[in-house]
Amino acid sequence: MNVRVFRTWTVCVLLSMLVFLGAGCSLGDDDDNGGDEAANTGETENGEAAGQAGGGNLLQEVQDRQTLRCGVNDAVPGFGFVGEDGEPQGFDIDFCKVVAAAVLGDAEAVEYTPLTAEQRFTALQSGEIDVLIRNTTYTSSRDGTEGARFLHTTFYDGQGMMVRADSGYESLEDLAGETICVLSGTTTELNLESQFQALGVDYTPLAFEDNEPLQAAFVEERCGAWTSDKSQLAGIRSSWPDDQGGPDALVILDETMSKEPLGPVVADGDDDWADAVNWAVIATIQAEEFGLDSTNVEQGSDDPEIQRFLGQPVEGEPFDPGLGLPADFAVAVVSQVGNYGEIFDRNVGAGSALELPRGLNALWTDGGLQYAPPYR
Amino acid sequence: MTAATASTTRRPPFWRNVRVLRVVVQAVFVAAVAGLVLFLLDNVVYNLERRGIPTGFDYLRQPAGFAIPDSDFRSTQSLGDALLVGVQNTIKVALLGIVLATVLGVLIGVARLSTNWLVRKAAAVYVETFRNIPVLVIILFWYLGVMIRLPPIREAVEALDLVAVSNRGIVIPWFDQVGAGAAFGVVALVAVAAAAGVWAWRTRRFDRTGEPHRRGLWAGAVLLAVLATGFVATGRPWTLDTPEVGELSTSGGFRLAPEYAALLVALSLYTASHIAEIVRGSILAVARGQSEAANALGLSGFQRMRFVVLPQAFRISVPPISNQYLNLVKNSSLGVAISYYEVTKVTQVSIAQSAPAVQAIALLMLIYLAFSLTIAAVTNVVNRRLTLKGRA
Repeated sequence: MNVRVFRTWTVCVLLSMLVFLGAGCSLGDDDDNGGDEAANTGETENGEAAGQAGGGNLLQEVQDRQTLRCGVNDAVPGFGFVGEDGEPQGFDIDFCKVVAAAVLGDAEAVEYTPLTAEQRFTALQSGEIDVLIRNTTYTSSRDGTEGARFLHTTFYDGQGMMVRADSGYESLEDLAGETICVLSGTTTELNLESQFQALGVDYTPLAFEDNEPLQAAFVEERCGAWTSDKSQLAGIRSSWPDDQGGPDALVILDETMSKEPLGPVVADGDDDWADAVNWAVIATIQAEEFGLDSTNVEQGSDDPEIQRFLGQPVEGEPFDPGLGLPADFAVAVVSQVGNYGEIFDRNVGAGSALELPRGLNALWTDGGLQYAPPYR
Repeated sequence: MTAATASTTRRPPFWRNVRVLRVVVQAVFVAAVAGLVLFLLDNVVYNLERRGIPTGFDYLRQPAGFAIPDSDFRSTQSLGDALLVGVQNTIKVALLGIVLATVLGVLIGVARLSTNWLVRKAAAVYVETFRNIPVLVIILFWYLGVMIRLPPIREAVEALDLVAVSNRGIVIPWFDQVGAGAAFGVVALVAVAAAAGVWAWRTRRFDRTGEPHRRGLWAGAVLLAVLATGFVATGRPWTLDTPEVGELSTSGGFRLAPEYAALLVALSLYTASHIAEIVRGSILAVARGQSEAANALGLSGFQRMRFVVLPQAFRISVPPISNQYLNLVKNSSLGVAISYYEVTKVTQVSIAQSAPAVQAIALLMLIYLAFSLTIAAVTNVVNRRLTLKGRA
């Protein structure tokens, strides 16, 4: 009897301690809240959540871990897909490698996480991935409400419409009454609706989560048109199976329905990490501007501007912009992955099946939009 | 002796009083759980706020921006409205699915016990096939393997100008209101009332005389007669709307979208296989003496099932079958895989279009909880009415 009462009493005390612990924690949290506004350095207060959500010093964490966790696409030829050797490859994949080369010095130290359009921001917010490079369009509401931070645009894209060549469609107006396939959870889905509303054209949307069922539906003529970013459509068209008539069976309409700037995204609240990723990407553009590519970057240069960029000693000291990256990160990036032009050509440009023109993605010196802020 | 009595009559201090301790321990436990929940909630809200992610439910008033096929929903309406359309679509597939699965399940369950070898084995093959394939696979099969492989719209198959089948939908004739609908509504009410009256009369007559009542036949005939007369009298307010096949879509009739049809068929077939097993088990659970007694009374095979075995089996099977109904509702969320806009799909799309994930998923869970509790409540009522009334 005595023993039982004693046990009950112990349980009672333990439980009440638990309650006070809980209360204590939430009290402590409130304190943090107040302190956060006052100090707002985002360094120490965030420690608690840093491990899970990347709210703290992710740059340090990635360097300690020695791998970069990159959220990617695995079903868009040219941008993010699984190659014949079973390895992920593509334009976006190469930018994962660029970041890994800059931060870790090893372009292969990447752990890829294939994500659907609908999963991607949740994965970023929860800290499951360090950076999202998955043809993600930069928009104000995503920047505002997804807790995401958009970095330098790697690809200026626009939404297009793909139809069968034998359908006879030549413009968006021709599609009145048609069923149009689209990926759900994309800006494309929203643009489709607003564009057709504005045109006053009636249509039926059919939105899929993945490209595979969407392609099946398009093949079976469940839908008569497929809308997506033009670059993606070009990729899909280029690899269209021969038993379906090959690439010539499909036509991408001339109209561009929207602006789609695609680039890497990181979680809000870690500026050091955002800066590091951003400048890793910019380095590829800067390298192309300087005429540096994977073949000649290791030879160095006498030009002090290029020396500064490559982290060679200028007047005795290598230049350190304070990004937390190794001084010679640009050498690692360009030698292991290449400059912007090389990445473009290899994956989506002249050297690929897509054969996309540089267009808006040419360097600013060639009339395009790719422009690197000065490295000094 | 006296010392012992004294020690038992003296009240122990309260911290050793079992009655007090019992209450205290439970109160402390509840407080601990509540504290933990509050702490986690506070943590979530704090971290969401720090990331600039909205924490309330105001997002439901934002315009949706996306369209929902096969609905009147406009993209300028709010995310909350979109969610309601999703709820409606879930109900549409769940209700009809429950009806189809029950009918099919009972038939197959009874067939499993048939004395006919072929019928028995066919039912067994059905059950073992559908019960052992994941429902998602069945759904994908019906969508990717059947529905979208129907002929494209320009080669749509039409039968007798009544049915049009293509991979843009299966269209069947439907009623189209052209005249006084309200007047016909009154007629319909009168017809139902008259049928009910006849039913009651036949039942009373049967109780009095013992002659066969045939109340279903009588009530049905009265219902049809009144409806037909009323239909002509009110100037034929409904016509049959037959499908027309256009170049890109069909018009007229009632259109079953391929996504809806695939999900409905797959869920019904899958759930029916489980219900069939429950029905079989319940029938076997009815004491053998019951059917033997029915045989001894000279009841036919159908009568034995209808009046003796099934009523008792039904009572046993209600709780497990209601479980299958819950599963069907929950499985309807797999419609996301084939682009059917039920409530999960709408939530997913909303999240991708900047609705906050934590709140949207919480709301989704509440909606499914509401569905499940409703079904549980309904089946509980049925169950209570069916339980054996003891003379306690």
